[in-house]
Amino acid sequence: MERKQLAPGVYLTALDAQKFNRCRITVHLRFPAKREYATNTALLPLVLERGYAACPDMTALSRRLAALYGADLGVDLGTAGIDRVLTADICGIKDEFALNGENLTAEYCGIVLGTIFDPYLVDGAFDPEAVRIEKETMTRRLQAEYNNKRLYCVRQARRKFFGDSPAGTELGGYLADLPAVTPQTLKAEYDRILQSAVIDVMVQGADADSVAALVQERLAGIRRTPCAYAAPVAMPRAEIQRYIEEIPGLTQAKLCMLFTTGDASVQPTIHQLRMAMGLFGGTSTSRLFRNVREKQSLCYYCASTAVRSTGVMMVDSGVEPGGEERAEQAILKEWEALKNGPITPGELEDTRRALLSGMESLGDSLAALESWYYGQIARGEPLTDPETARAAVRAVTAEEVRAILQGYSYSVRYIVTAQEDAQ
Amino acid sequence: MNHTQSKAAAALSCQKTVLPSGLTVLCRPMPGYSSTHAMYATKFGSVMLDFTLDGNPVHLPAGTAHFLEHKMFETPEGDAFDLYAETGAAANAFTSYDRTCYIFTATRDIDRNLDILLGAVGKPWFTRETIAKEQGIIGQEIKMYDDSPDWRLLTGLFRCLYARHPIREDIAGSVESIAQLTPELLYACTDAFYAPANMVLSVAGSVTLEQAVDACKRCGLYEARPPRAVALSLPEETGPVPQKELVFSMPVTKPCFAVGYREEPIAPGDTKREVLLDMLSDLVCGGLTGLYRKFYDEALTNPEFSGDFVSASGMCAIAFTGESSQPRRVVELLQAEIDRLRREGIDPELFELVKHQMYGELLGDVESVDDAAEEQAAAFLKGRTLADEIDTLAALTVEDANALLQTALLEENRAYVEIQPRE
Repeated sequence: MERKQLAPGVYLTALDAQKFNRCRITVHLRFPAKREYATNTALLPLVLERGYAACPDMTALSRRLAALYGADLGVDLGTAGIDRVLTADICGIKDEFALNGENLTAEYCGIVLGTIFDPYLVDGAFDPEAVRIEKETMTRRLQAEYNNKRLYCVRQARRKFFGDSPAGTELGGYLADLPAVTPQTLKAEYDRILQSAVIDVMVQGADADSVAALVQERLAGIRRTPCAYAAPVAMPRAEIQRYIEEIPGLTQAKLCMLFTTGDASVQPTIHQLRMAMGLFGGTSTSRLFRNVREKQSLCYYCASTAVRSTGVMMVDSGVEPGGEERAEQAILKEWEALKNGPITPGELEDTRRALLSGMESLGDSLAALESWYYGQIARGEPLTDPETARAAVRAVTAEEVRAILQGYSYSVRYIVTAQEDAQ
Repeated sequence: MNHTQSKAAAALSCQKTVLPSGLTVLCRPMPGYSSTHAMYATKFGSVMLDFTLDGNPVHLPAGTAHFLEHKMFETPEGDAFDLYAETGAAANAFTSYDRTCYIFTATRDIDRNLDILLGAVGKPWFTRETIAKEQGIIGQEIKMYDDSPDWRLLTGLFRCLYARHPIREDIAGSVESIAQLTPELLYACTDAFYAPANMVLSVAGSVTLEQAVDACKRCGLYEARPPRAVALSLPEETGPVPQKELVFSMPVTKPCFAVGYREEPIAPGDTKREVLLDMLSDLVCGGLTGLYRKFYDEALTNPEFSGDFVSASGMCAIAFTGESSQPRRVVELLQAEIDRLRREGIDPELFELVKHQMYGELLGDVESVDDAAEEQAAAFLKGRTLADEIDTLAALTVEDANALLQTALLEENRAYVEIQPRE
C-alpha cells in the first residue's frame, strides 16, 4: 500500500491487487454537507452516472461498459460523519483476460475520471433533459422508502432523533426542494464540491502513475480550496421520545431504538466500538441475537450498530405486532446487563475472534480492501494494514466495552406497526 | 478456443473427486488468499414436497426444506453457531427452490470448521421441543417476507403460472404448514436427501482438496454406504397458464407489477438453452436496449425494472418486475418489443455486447472465495462446470437466440400480477 499527495487536498493510494481477476479505480470527494444544497447534492450522482462529455448518452455509456466485458461503473453519495462523500468507481476484468487484446485499464481510467471531472454540459450547465429525467427518478426513490418498512422505520426514527441538527440532513434530499433544482443549481453544487472537496483516488490493479498523471491533468485548471473534515458531533441527552405509527395491512412490526453518547469529545477507537457492537447485537453470538431472538423468539432480526462520528447507536428489529413493548424491554434488559452485569471471557473472545477473522479476510476482496483503507482516511487516522490493526482488537478489554455501552443514553423509539382494526 | 479463452477457462477451473460414499468434493485452491469458504449443499429445496423413500410415499408440508435448514445447526451438544464462534468463522445457510446450502467463511482452524459443518449437517438431530421453538422464529421470518412487495410479486406470479407445481408455495411455507412438521418427517427428508451421494462439498481459498477429503473421512462421509431408494415426484405442468392475472393491495406508494412467462423446464445438461434463456431479458429490455431507455426517460418504470430467469426442477420462467404508475402500458410495450424481435431478429451487436458482459461476470464471479465455492457448486448441481459455461457462451450465436425466441416469451404463456397501493 502506498499513499501519496498529488496536490493540496488530493491524494492517491495504490493497493496491491495481483491475485485478483479484476482491477478497480475509485475516486472519493469528501466535502461539507449543507442543508440548503442537500437535494442538489443528492441528485448529482444520478446525473453524473448517465454519461460524461466524451460519452454523454446513457445507453451509449452502458454499451461501452458492456463492450469492456461488463465493467461496472457506479456513482454514489455517502456520509462520513456529517460530511458527504461523492464516490465514482469502476471495476472490470484485467487486460490479460481481454479477448481481443484491448487496453482495458486505460479505458476504465478514462471513464471514471471523465465521469467525475469532465461532465457533459449544455451552455455551461448540466443537460436539462438529463436533469428533468433524473428528478423523476429521485422522486420515485424518495417515495419508495415507504415500500421498505424496515428502512422507513429507521429513517423516521432518525428524523425524530436528529431533528434540525446538521447530522440529520437527509442524504437522499427532500421532495419539497426538488422543483427548485435546475441544471444551473446542479452545476453550482458540482462546482462547490469540486472546489471544496478533499479528493482521494484509490487504485487497485491499474498503473497508479498513469492514473496520478491523468488526475493532475484534470485538476490543472480548477481553483481549489479543500475544506477540513467536519468535527464529530453528538445529539444531547434528553427525555425518551416514543412514537408509534400504524399502517393498515402490515404483517410484521418494526422497532427502531436510537441512543446518543451526548458528548462528541469522547471518542472510542473504532476497534473498541466494533467490539461493543459485536457483543451487544452485531454478531450471531451477541446478546441480542442469542437472548432476544433465539431464546425468547421475540423477533426475526435484532441488531445493533453505532456510528462514532455522530455518537449514535441504533437497535432495529422486526417483531410480532403487539409484541413491540416486550421486545423493547428485552433489548433494554440486555443493554443494562452488559452495562452493569458480568461480561464473560467466553463471549468477549467469541466476538473478538469474529472481528479478527473478518479482518484477516479483508485482503481477499478488492472492495473490502479499498473500504478498509478509505475508512481510515475518512476517520483521519494514519493508514495501517489489517494485520497491524489486529493487535488493537486483541487489546480491547471488557471494561472498555462496558464503558462504551454505559456512555449511551436512550433517546428515541419509533415503532411501525399494524393498524389494530385492520388485523 | 483461443489463448485468452483458455486462460479464462483455467481461471474458472477446480479440482474434483467423488468419494466411495458418492459425495462429490470440489476444491479451488486460491494462492495468496487468507480465507476459505466452504459450501455443503444438498439437492433438496422447497419444491421437493412428494417422494418415496424405500418404496414408502412421503408428503411434506410447504416450507420443510427451509425449516430443516434452520434445524441443522442444532446438535445434542449445542448450537453449531456456538462451535463456529470458537473458531471465529462466519456461518450461514440458505434454501432455494431446489437446493439447501450450508456455508462458512474462515481464516483459521479450517479442519475444525469443516468438522463442524460436516458434523452438524451430517448428523441430524430433532426433538418436538426444538421444532416448536423454531416454528416461532420462522413464523417471524415468513411475516417479514409477507411485507415485501418484491417477494409477494414473485410468489403471486408463480401461483398464476403453475396450477400444481410446488413452486406455487413460498420457500418458507406458511405458519400453518410448518406447524405440521414432526421429527419423523424431518428424519425422512435427511434419510432421503442428505445422503452423501445427493450432496456436494465445495471449498475455495486457502485450502486443499486433501484437507476437504480428510474432513469427510473424519466425519464418516468417506466410506461407501448402502443406497436408499428415493424417487422424487413432481407434477407435470401442461395446458394453459391457470391464472392470467392477479391484483391485490399492500401499503406501497406506487403500483408494483410483475409479468412472467412460463417456459419449458430445462433438460438436464442443456447448458446452451439455459444460458440463452438467461440472456433473453437483457436482449429484450436490459440496460443496453432502446426499450429500457424509453421506460427510463419517460418514467414509465423505476430504474430497477429488470428481468430475471428462474429455473428449478420441473419449472422454468422469465419474470420482469418493476414499479410503475402505468403498469399495463409497460406490459403492452414489452410484449410488442418481444413480438418485434421475434419477427425482425435481435440486433447482432447487442447480442455480442451481452455475451461480453456475461464473460466478464463469469470471471468476476470466481474472484472471491465465497463466490468461487458457491458458483462451482451451483454449476455442479446443474451437471456441468464453470469452464463448460465459458465454452457454451463462446459458441453462442445470435441465430441461436433468434431460434429460441420463436418458442419463448409467448403471450399465451404469460401471467400478470399487480400490487395496488392500499388506501
